[in-house]
Amino acid sequence: MGSFILHGTQVKDVIIKPDAPSSLLLDKHADYIAAYGSKKDDYEYTLSEYLRMSGIYWGLTVMDLMSQLPRMNRAEIIDFIKACQHECGGISASIGHDPHLLYTLSAVQILSLYDNMDAINIDKVVEYVKGLQQEDGSFAGDKWGEIDTRFSFCAVATLALLGKMDTINVDKAVEFVLSCMNFDGGFGCRPGSESHAGQIYCCTGFLSLTGQLHQVNADLLGWWLCERQLPSGGLNGRPEKLPDVCYSWWVLASLKIIGRIHWIDKAKLRSFILACQDEETGGFADRPGDMVDPFHTLFGIAGLSLLGDEQIKPVNPVLCMPEDVLQRVSLQPDLLS
Amino acid sequence: MAETEEEVDVLVQRVVKDITNAFKRNPNIDEIGVIPCPEARYNRSPIVLVENKLGVESWCVKFLLPYVHNKLLLYRQRKHWLDREALVDITCTLLLLNPDFTTAWNVRKELLQCGVLNPEKDLYLGKLALTKFPKSPETWIHRRWVLQQIMQQFSSVSRNRKKQHQAEGEQADPERIQQIRDQLARTLHQEMKVCSDASCRYPSNYNAWSHRIWVLQHMAKGNVKVFHDELSSMRLWVSMHVSDHSGFHYRQFLIKELINELSQTPAPGSPQHRSSSVHSGSHSYSCSQSNGELPVAEAAAAEDADRQLSFTTVLQVFHQEMELCSDLIQSFPGHEALWCHRRHVFYLWHHWRREHQQNLNGSSNSATETVLVNSSDPGSPPSGGGVGEGPSADRPGHAAEAMDEDRALLPEPRDSKRLKRGVLMPGTPTLSTEHNFVSSVLDGCCNLEQRRFAQAYRKWLDTVIGQQL
Repeated sequence: MGSFILHGTQVKDVIIKPDAPSSLLLDKHADYIAAYGSKKDDYEYTLSEYLRMSGIYWGLTVMDLMSQLPRMNRAEIIDFIKACQHECGGISASIGHDPHLLYTLSAVQILSLYDNMDAINIDKVVEYVKGLQQEDGSFAGDKWGEIDTRFSFCAVATLALLGKMDTINVDKAVEFVLSCMNFDGGFGCRPGSESHAGQIYCCTGFLSLTGQLHQVNADLLGWWLCERQLPSGGLNGRPEKLPDVCYSWWVLASLKIIGRIHWIDKAKLRSFILACQDEETGGFADRPGDMVDPFHTLFGIAGLSLLGDEQIKPVNPVLCMPEDVLQRVSLQPDLLS
Repeated sequence: MAETEEEVDVLVQRVVKDITNAFKRNPNIDEIGVIPCPEARYNRSPIVLVENKLGVESWCVKFLLPYVHNKLLLYRQRKHWLDREALVDITCTLLLLNPDFTTAWNVRKELLQCGVLNPEKDLYLGKLALTKFPKSPETWIHRRWVLQQIMQQFSSVSRNRKKQHQAEGEQADPERIQQIRDQLARTLHQEMKVCSDASCRYPSNYNAWSHRIWVLQHMAKGNVKVFHDELSSMRLWVSMHVSDHSGFHYRQFLIKELINELSQTPAPGSPQHRSSSVHSGSHSYSCSQSNGELPVAEAAAAEDADRQLSFTTVLQVFHQEMELCSDLIQSFPGHEALWCHRRHVFYLWHHWRREHQQNLNGSSNSATETVLVNSSDPGSPPSGGGVGEGPSADRPGHAAEAMDEDRALLPEPRDSKRLKRGVLMPGTPTLSTEHNFVSSVLDGCCNLEQRRFAQAYRKWLDTVIGQQL
């Protein structure tokens, strides 16, 4: 691929070098993820402990998408999740940390992958999620009360996987999420906040799970999402930001949810995602040449799956989990066509 | 070099103490950072204080962080006791190194609830953490919690005092109320400063800008003066950060709130009316409004004049914003953020105009004179006369419709910006002036990005706005 530096202005984008990886290195990625958890004394590992549960979800999901889940230590992980459930029902990122909706969803996702939901007290989880709903329909992330549309998504995604959506006030929850919709069709974290691809993913996912996708202005939102594609093929999360593999997933998944995935240049996006692989270590980075991590590795693989790569299992755009897992729990979130 | 567990223990405890002492020695530390230094040199503390900057030598971080991290988690699991002072020190060190460690902030919330920490101190710690980690979501989340505590404290103080005074048959103590108001104003001001700093340290800092919006929504709701001041002070900032989409979104938020406030025409004497009055010189922070101790508003007769002035202000806000946007687009070609800003401002204007058409028509001063929308625009093509002639053959239909809509609509801005640059200014944008703007940008423009954004804007006008007409 050539240079995209254009006359006069510097476009905020990356240049994909001719020798960047252009084929999918599945075996390397599986080895990278399998080895990641074994470096537990690492300083970096300590630094990211506050989000460990999500880290495990990223690692396991990408392994499952590559049909390599049996390589992970199932018993150890399930014991870990059990140890992270608190009295209140909520689940924490790791042992000794405080419970939070973010990690409650991750734990429920992991147990769905392992088809082992009974490992934890489900009724307590439902009670925890229900207890975080506020009068205006929004959800707090934990007992300290921070409000964010991300948490609305976590709440309904958790309940949908548990088949307990009817325990919350769905109408109110929808009302709050819709109050965060902006003039450009996008969504922000709270009413009045800027549209952001990550928040848009959460909100379109939320509206899918609650059967309210008709409330989205799909053409307008699709327009905004398509404008995230840069000359390199990568997608950014907001105007004038650099492209990033994780935003490529969030934008792509949102487009899939609202039935507009064909509006972007898929071949170019695929080249960008492939160029973010590390040929030596395995794994994906945010951008070509950067350090890899499990987070971007999941979203790289999931993105390629949505783009139709047949070496990878089909991924569900709403929950970022393998479709076969969702079929097992009889969950089929709506998508617009 | 520390190697055994015992040595690490001693070393780390000393470093945590050094950090605590540095803050005692200099309460004005305003920035933290890690000093690249792979190995311990000399027999000295790895904590370096130069002027108001606190540095930690990088070699010790790999000992320090796991140590304080594990200590806190053991405490959280009730496997290891820490007294309050140790908890304060350990969470401080931990959060300066890893501010997204949610549980450490939660420990501090508990310390704050039982009075061991005061809210200002925690806002200060967060501010320092943001100098090194300007995006840190958990730091911003904690700030919002602390600010809510401060607001609750203030409102309960003023409520109690009011009750007390009512019981004694007196008026609420105006001096104390004023003090509270000043304190809240100071907190608000400091918070804006923290947001500005973080926005300068990291471009399009979503967490910083959405926090700033939250602060205004919770601490300055309905306060036209604060929104006005923010809009003015942000003008220079966005001009110097033309790719910062979040900064522009903040302006859009300010404009939207401001016009909402200014467009309300509540009954005279209602709290809303008082707080939204454009000439209100006093800072009326949200907690004080509900107490109704502001001076009683003008008589009902003045209301119409008030409304006129408000509408004129709205027109000015839109006019100035579009002008700023045009200037920036022309001076800094090829910036998507600027074109997005234009879309949003025009959209706000378009909707405001439709909503308030009735009011404008009904007011005494409206429709007196059709603002010379098109004929005064130097960029507009000749269309065979003025606005009043209706659709003309050489214009696309949508532009003609827009013109019709403009005709009966705009009151004459009284303090006339119309003579600027020696020509009659178009009062406000219309679909056709926007199309003309796009044409003038595309004319002879060889910047490919600029062309692409201009064409996308044109398409947006035709489809998104065009369909709404």
